[in-house]
Amino acid sequence: MEKIVACQTCGLVQQADDVPKGSVIKCARCHFQIFHRRVDSRVRTMAFSLAALIFYIPANLYPIVTAEYQGHHIQTTIFQGISSLFTLHQYFIGSLMFFTSMLTPGLKIIGLMFITLTLDWPHWKKARTWVFKIIRIIDPWNMLEVFLLAICVSMVELGEVATVHPGRGVFSFAAVVVLTLLATLSFDSRLLWDSPTERKL
Amino acid sequence: MNEKLPLLPKAQVGKGHLNWLLWLIPIAAAFLCAWFVGEDIIFAGPTVTIYFENADGLQEHNSLLEYRGATIGEVGILKLTKDRQRVAVKVQLDASAANIARQGSVFWIVRPEVKLGALSGLQTIVSGNYITVEPGNGERTNQFIGAETAPIKPVQALDIRLLAPKLGSLQPLSPIFYRDIQVGEVLDCRLSDDAREVVIHARIREEYAPLVRMNSKFWNAGGINVHIGLFSGANISAESAQTLISGGIEFATPADFQNAATNDAVFNLNEKSEDEWEKWSPAIPLHSVPEAMKNKSTLPNLKNPR
Ligand SMILES: [Zn+2]
Repeated sequence: MEKIVACQTCGLVQQADDVPKGSVIKCARCHFQIFHRRVDSRVRTMAFSLAALIFYIPANLYPIVTAEYQGHHIQTTIFQGISSLFTLHQYFIGSLMFFTSMLTPGLKIIGLMFITLTLDWPHWKKARTWVFKIIRIIDPWNMLEVFLLAICVSMVELGEVATVHPGRGVFSFAAVVVLTLLATLSFDSRLLWDSPTERKL
Repeated sequence: MNEKLPLLPKAQVGKGHLNWLLWLIPIAAAFLCAWFVGEDIIFAGPTVTIYFENADGLQEHNSLLEYRGATIGEVGILKLTKDRQRVAVKVQLDASAANIARQGSVFWIVRPEVKLGALSGLQTIVSGNYITVEPGNGERTNQFIGAETAPIKPVQALDIRLLAPKLGSLQPLSPIFYRDIQVGEVLDCRLSDDAREVVIHARIREEYAPLVRMNSKFWNAGGINVHIGLFSGANISAESAQTLISGGIEFATPADFQNAATNDAVFNLNEKSEDEWEKWSPAIPLHSVPEAMKNKSTLPNLKNPR
């Protein structure tokens, strides 16, 4: 059955045949791919958020930095950093850090995975909508990138007075940041309400 | 609707890319994490527990175990034992140092010390205290009793006892000189059994042992000697800056020397020397240092013996 589609890149309206499985349609004018929903949205979101979830574990367990300051050897994981803020009675900054660098990234990754995994069951539509709402609420607080930047800046600054080795934690942390970003970019929220048959194109 | 359709261009059908390749990303992530864990579990050395009477200056998760200046382990948690007599220090050894976890290894904490007019462990003032070790080679074990001070290395030496009315400025590790060359040191000092004298336990290095004869004279070289003569004026002498602070012992052997002193020989420690003693200069053949000892300080042979 033929359909009329518009190219998202150049805007050309054109007709498209049914697409065999494993193939894609390309614009007659600009040759960019034409898609109904973001390309491979479901698979990409699942793959990226699964990888992010895997890296989330070492990012929190391994030290972010190992600093050597005149022979003092200091290792800190994110959690140790937060708990030391609490022992210093910096409750506000401590909780802010906990929310923005530990809780919200985790929730977001798990939420994206939940949505993409349950897409085949129409009964879960309501739960998916709720999870999506929660993600929308926490997203502005998901300041992983800012936190990573802060770590990098302090590493460069400290480098003048102390020897700072990036720990395994910071590599995993960077991986979580990049993969979460990719998962967010691949995620097409329209998938939430599509019926399984509608998702074919 | 159907009439318009032929006017529109037709989209091309192309080959889709292989989206299953995306799953390689989480798989690679899992492999990397498995490698992290594997490196920690398989390549990490054993964890040992060292019981110190005083773990002053050690910091949880920050202090290091060093051996010959290399870091071979990290201090984990510090805990008081149930009887509150010691502190249990958990140390995670590096894989390269797994062999340290053997009976006979002695662990102690290096702290800054001002002793003998010399500063030791000076680097610890800025770096914090660390643990170091003298490896043993007994059975494998994970529990050690930490030593309070660096162990005295057992060496081939002549042990002698010196009796003195007063200790003066002597202390353990005070030097013993022969012609101003250090040939030995004080090991410990204590009161005699009847408390009438001080017994100083001293050690002369093996290569200088023949210098000590049964009729050798020992005197206290520490402190400042002030001679005030009617014609010569005041004559202030100190053996060296080091003995001024830490005390020291000097000895001489007469030209008609007797048999070499044996272990645990007892001598009197005079308060000061007599002029005559300092003029003695007998010819005493010293033990020649064995060739094997001389080569000890050379580099290990790194080349393949072909
Ligand atoms: Zn186009």
